[in-house]
Amino acid sequence: MDFELTPDHVTLLDALEGLVKPFTTAPIGEVPFALGNEELEAALVEGGFLEIAREPEFGLVGAMLVVERVAQLPFAVEAANSAFVGPLLGEGVARPVCVAEADRLWQPIRFLRDGATLVILDNQGGASTLTPATGTVSADPESLFAYPMGLVSADEAARALPAPHLDGRDLRMRANLALASEATGLLRAALQSTIEHVSERKQFGRPLATFQALRHRLAEIHVRTDSLYWMTLRAAGLGDPGEAALAALHAQESARIAVYDFHQMLGAMGMTLEHPLHFWTYRLKALTGEYGGRGRQAMTAARLLWPEACAV
Amino acid sequence: MDFEWDDEQSAFRETIRDFITRNVPADWEEIAGHGPGSEELTHKSRLFCAALAEQDLLFPHWPVELGGKGADPWHQQILAEEMWGAGEPRGAQYMNVNWIGPTLVRYGSEAQKERYLPPIVNGNAIWCQGFSEPGAGSDLASLRTSAVLEDGTYRINGQKIWTSYAGLADTCFLLVRTGPDRKSGISILLVPMDTPGITVREIPSIIGEGDIHEMFFDDVVVPAGARLGEEGQAWEIIDYSLRNERLGIPRYHLARKTLDRAVATLGKHGAFGEEAVQIEAARAASLCEAARSAIYAIISRRAHGEAVGPEAAAARFATVMAERAVAEFIVEHLPGSLGSAEPYLKMHHQRGIVAGIASGAAEIQLNLVASSVLNLPREPR
Ligand SMILES: Cc1cc2nc3c(=O)[nH]c(=O)nc-3n(C[C@H](O)[C@H](O)[C@H](O)COP(=O)(O)OP(=O)(O)OC[C@H]3O[C@@H](n4cnc5c(N)ncnc54)[C@H](O)[C@@H]3O)c2cc1C
Repeated sequence: MDFELTPDHVTLLDALEGLVKPFTTAPIGEVPFALGNEELEAALVEGGFLEIAREPEFGLVGAMLVVERVAQLPFAVEAANSAFVGPLLGEGVARPVCVAEADRLWQPIRFLRDGATLVILDNQGGASTLTPATGTVSADPESLFAYPMGLVSADEAARALPAPHLDGRDLRMRANLALASEATGLLRAALQSTIEHVSERKQFGRPLATFQALRHRLAEIHVRTDSLYWMTLRAAGLGDPGEAALAALHAQESARIAVYDFHQMLGAMGMTLEHPLHFWTYRLKALTGEYGGRGRQAMTAARLLWPEACAV
Repeated sequence: MDFEWDDEQSAFRETIRDFITRNVPADWEEIAGHGPGSEELTHKSRLFCAALAEQDLLFPHWPVELGGKGADPWHQQILAEEMWGAGEPRGAQYMNVNWIGPTLVRYGSEAQKERYLPPIVNGNAIWCQGFSEPGAGSDLASLRTSAVLEDGTYRINGQKIWTSYAGLADTCFLLVRTGPDRKSGISILLVPMDTPGITVREIPSIIGEGDIHEMFFDDVVVPAGARLGEEGQAWEIIDYSLRNERLGIPRYHLARKTLDRAVATLGKHGAFGEEAVQIEAARAASLCEAARSAIYAIISRRAHGEAVGPEAAAARFATVMAERAVAEFIVEHLPGSLGSAEPYLKMHHQRGIVAGIASGAAEIQLNLVASSVLNLPREPR
């Protein structure tokens, strides 16, 4: 047992740090809710960071490290499913990679657009895939979620092709790891941003961060975020579907609790589009609803952990 | 990086499990349910620890020069997980091997080492930890039990409370006030519990028999040689000795085992098919594994030679969340186990309920995280 990052991991993170450096702050002024960045995305692709899981010395742990770091940026780029699920879909798979459950296709899907790769998970452990044709996905520019959201037409969704060569269990595990890794980075960034605010903002003659009512909630969010990081890393390293489901569940539970507090502690400032907090919180909100939300996530985990007891 | 136990670690765990199975009586879970400080458990712990000592399994993590095997922190954790998961058959003696023994070795006089170490290494010494007082709980440094040095003896007066194992202990690791300064006015005395003037009263509790006590010290006289270290050195000594105790007992392990058992019982009765029940069980499991992961990350750093820092407080709080979720799950879905239906589940409940209180309240852990991990500006004093 050893949780220490290897020198290879450290080198990877150093290289990534250099790449993301120009992208650590959001532009000032009016920006869309779903703030993408093509330059960042191209750099990640070119640098091979989204392919890192294919390298045997990195595997899913490498994907976790990349996705977690990229999620801390104010920009929304589809990295998570590309890095985790992409390798199962063969070389040169069209990005973005989107994953959704079969019974939720009538809801908008993160990053979905024409020409994307959509992986559809059914509840029998199987999967199908779809590359939506031109004009079959409608974007929802009004969405508050800080991701580009796309809705696929029912007719087009019905054209999805069964993908018997894909192992649904592995797919779901990777999708869960992608979710948990991304949530970890988002939580970390939002927590840091909130800490900076309450440490500077003074009321009653003292920084807000000196009030224990806030300190304890921030500390609890740190406990959740830090444990989520290690839990996700461990689940990725083990490649264990049960542990991955538990990590995704912990991510969704923690995101739900934390986002409310983050906004609360910023007061009116957190309502503005000028402050970057919403980039992270509204991505976290989107993740809390992923794959049917906490309840279904918990049931998935329960069935993996205790198949016998669930069978009766 | 490696998230699996290696062959040697797995074999060590098997050895411990095996040892426990062979060395606890058939009705062990019943006995453990009486409480960690009960007469029966304490009596059995003396036999159990003596047998552990014979197999060199009592303190494998002690350095070789202390008679241990210099085993790494993972071995210590595996040992602790298996013991706690089995209801801690070492009883009070887990404290000896974790910190009292090593502290005596480092700070004890030759006479103290000669007197106290042999029973500890032979697995036949019950100690109690006299820290908390009616007026000094979370704010331990405000303790008032006084010890006055006169003609080569200390005269002790005052009261301790919540002292585990005090009723059957041979010796007390006692914190006393020898000077006015909050922290540097505190000293340690090693006090035989049969010294005249000590009165111990058990406090009936949810946790079980013989666990928590009041101790009264009325003109208790001990020789100056009973002092461990220098006068006023207590804070420094306990800071050192409890350094590796900051992660606390591996409660996540018993919590998860308990949860698995509870689910199996529900399954046997066809009562785990309901989605609402599955959801709560998975929530509890996720909190157990979150705590385990946070703790393993810190043990990993220890294994690489780093000291345990304030992150331990975060891991402790994660453990409290796990304990709470498992206990709530059982109360809600297997209420019979708080009675006599399942002693193991009841034992978990009785021990788990103190997770956020004993050895540093949950809020104290959060205070530490806020100040020393998140570096938030300090609260006004
Ligand atoms: C089963 C058990 C065994 C024990 N065994 C021993 C033993 O062997 N030896 C020994 O010396 N002691 C022992 N203790 C005592 C233990 O160390 C204390 O209970 C603990 O330090 C808390 O002190 P207290 O109970 O006086 O609570 P208090 O200090 O009165 O605190 C009560 C509650 O107030 C809150 N609180 C306290 N301070 C703060 C703060 N700064 N900010 C926010 N909230 C706060 C917390 O919620 C806390 O739980 C034991 C306790 C238990 C439950």
